[in-house]
Amino acid sequence: MSLIIDSVSKRFGEVQALEGISLEIKPCEVFGFLGANGAGKTTAMRIVLDILRPDSGTVTWNGTLNSKVPRETWGYLPEERGLYAKMNVLEQLVFFARLHGVGAKAAEREVRDWLERFRIPEYADRRAEQLSKGNQQKIQFIAAILHDPEVLLMDEPFTGLDPINAALLKEAFLEMKERGKTLIFSTHQMETVEELCESIAILDRGRVVVGGSVREVRRSSGRQVVRLAVEGDPEIAWLATLDGVVITRRGQDYTEAEVSRGVDPVVVLQTALGRGCKIHHFEIAEPSLEEIFIEKVGQIDMTERTLAPKALRA
Amino acid sequence: MNGWRTLLPNAWYVAVREYRSRARSRSFVIGTVVLAAIAFVATQLPVVIDLSMTTSQTRVAIVVPSDGLPPDALAVITQGLNGQQGGREAYLVSWLPGVDPAALQSDLESRKLDALLIVVRNPTTKDLAFTLRTDIPRDGRPVANITTAVASLQLEDRLVRAGTSTAALRAPYSFQMEPIKPNSPSTNSISAEVSSSILSTGLIVLIFMAIITYGVWVAMSVAEEKSSRVMELMLNATTPLQMLTGKVLGNGAAGLTQYGVILGAVVTGLLAQGPIHKLVVGNDAGAQFGGLSPTVLVAFMVLFILGFLLYSLLYAALGSLVSRQEDVQSATSPLMTLIMIGYFMSVFGLQAIDETWVKVASFLPFFSPYMMLARVSTGHVEIWEFGLAVVLLLASIVVALFVAARIYSAGVLLYGQRVGLRQLLRMARVSR
Repeated sequence: MSLIIDSVSKRFGEVQALEGISLEIKPCEVFGFLGANGAGKTTAMRIVLDILRPDSGTVTWNGTLNSKVPRETWGYLPEERGLYAKMNVLEQLVFFARLHGVGAKAAEREVRDWLERFRIPEYADRRAEQLSKGNQQKIQFIAAILHDPEVLLMDEPFTGLDPINAALLKEAFLEMKERGKTLIFSTHQMETVEELCESIAILDRGRVVVGGSVREVRRSSGRQVVRLAVEGDPEIAWLATLDGVVITRRGQDYTEAEVSRGVDPVVVLQTALGRGCKIHHFEIAEPSLEEIFIEKVGQIDMTERTLAPKALRA
Repeated sequence: MNGWRTLLPNAWYVAVREYRSRARSRSFVIGTVVLAAIAFVATQLPVVIDLSMTTSQTRVAIVVPSDGLPPDALAVITQGLNGQQGGREAYLVSWLPGVDPAALQSDLESRKLDALLIVVRNPTTKDLAFTLRTDIPRDGRPVANITTAVASLQLEDRLVRAGTSTAALRAPYSFQMEPIKPNSPSTNSISAEVSSSILSTGLIVLIFMAIITYGVWVAMSVAEEKSSRVMELMLNATTPLQMLTGKVLGNGAAGLTQYGVILGAVVTGLLAQGPIHKLVVGNDAGAQFGGLSPTVLVAFMVLFILGFLLYSLLYAALGSLVSRQEDVQSATSPLMTLIMIGYFMSVFGLQAIDETWVKVASFLPFFSPYMMLARVSTGHVEIWEFGLAVVLLLASIVVALFVAARIYSAGVLLYGQRVGLRQLLRMARVSR
């Protein structure tokens, strides 16, 4: 009982979009795809949905090949949002539901229910083009879940939403999870992942760099982080003199240091006590997903994060 | 591809959506109304022509001596001017024995009369002498007609004076027509030939216009889904084959609706032609449906629908290759060229309907909607030939459906790339 992606590869001309990725996503789980732009998240989702066919490898849901799975199993919120601009909201949502096999009356009832729940019932008779971007996005989300799919795939569902609508969508997310749905979404917002996901996979240039439960992923990192604050010494300069300890961040509240593998972080505490410091804060922290992401995808990410040097003008 | 199994009901839902959104659009409504109005007006053309003909009747007064002319002199003149019998009379003849020509001068000047023919007998030669007083140009048609009629009268007068009886002059004689070769089929009258050729051209233009207009609709609606990015949502809900089938059927039905309304306007116009003719011209000429037999109508509908299906499938495939509606025109131009070639072939083919190349082309799927129609409407075809063309057309539609579905399913996810012929062929070979 799970969604299994088995050594899936896909090439578009010169570009190897996916290179033998394998993943297992358990039912009723919230799963996050992380990756930089162009890492292969969208391609992976399209292949799961059988919109694209892989060059090699298979996708199965509960042991059935994805091309044999009924289409109404899947709900999909594409990254490229779009609706029929000239059609009214009710009509097009009913249309999408009917394509997934929902009867006409049931479809209309569902649509009105969901519009009510998203607090936009008055939009039923408006044309899609008359709605704001954020409200269109809610309509698209409703379109993806109307037929009560078992698996919900969403490509960057939170981009472009204001905090209030993002919170609304998260609530809808959790409700779907409570109903026993499997949720898969891609994002590059790490906070959202830490807040919602039980499992993740970090993709980089078509490969799974790391995958598994969030806890496993955190542990997979060799990094150990110590946060320390002592009275009267905001610098804590002696920390850098310890073997295998590198200060990574100095802050007003605490100083953060990375302790290399093989060194017990407790050494830091012992040293501090030994020096007679009055300790305000000591913490052995797990690295954040953002740190792990930067660690795993670091090289390309760093170049992408900084501007190329200015061209010299004569 | 497991599309066949699940073609319905989704293809139907897509078709209904396409039909509704097309039929509700302002351009559709306005276009239909305007075209129907034009069609109605066009059917009233014969009335307009008759009206202008009536006013263009040439009024001729003929002043003759009160006696001494052959007894049927008037008949000879009117026959010479207005032909045998029946038909519309081009000349209004006033026969005025013993009237003083000077009395008619004011009528001539006020244009109540177009021409005055004065006939006198030359006292010395005893021949008739003619004077034509008119401003009609010397080389005008009425002058030529009057000259001919006058010559007949002169001849008759001389023969009567020489002693030939009018009965002998009017005695029936034999005149027969026969074809150049004994089994030559051409026994049609000129008007039947002309009207069937006009009808053929008209029907060919109808198919031509429909395929171009409604084919582009299909391509546009595919491109619209791509540019509004609703395509991915659709792809999860339907298979490309369902979408393609639905789009072609929905837009085709919308096109047929528009055609139905226009045809309705034409039929109404033709039925109204008689009463309107009576009202405007004064007499009831009646409607003329020249050569439009039920056979031709059925053949037209069959070829119209099959031709539209074949071309619009390809329009959908090409429409799926562009990202914006503005690019549809250029992407579909190869298809446009193909349609134009078929159209011109059939227009020229009408002049050479029994040539071998016309016969061959009337079986080729991309040209048969036009060429076979040309042959059917001129009656130069065997029933099995029509059947064969239809079967070939159907087969090519099935092939086109699969090729188009392949190109479509690959094309709909392409954005911003230019697709060359080689890529197109590769798409058609492998799916997705």
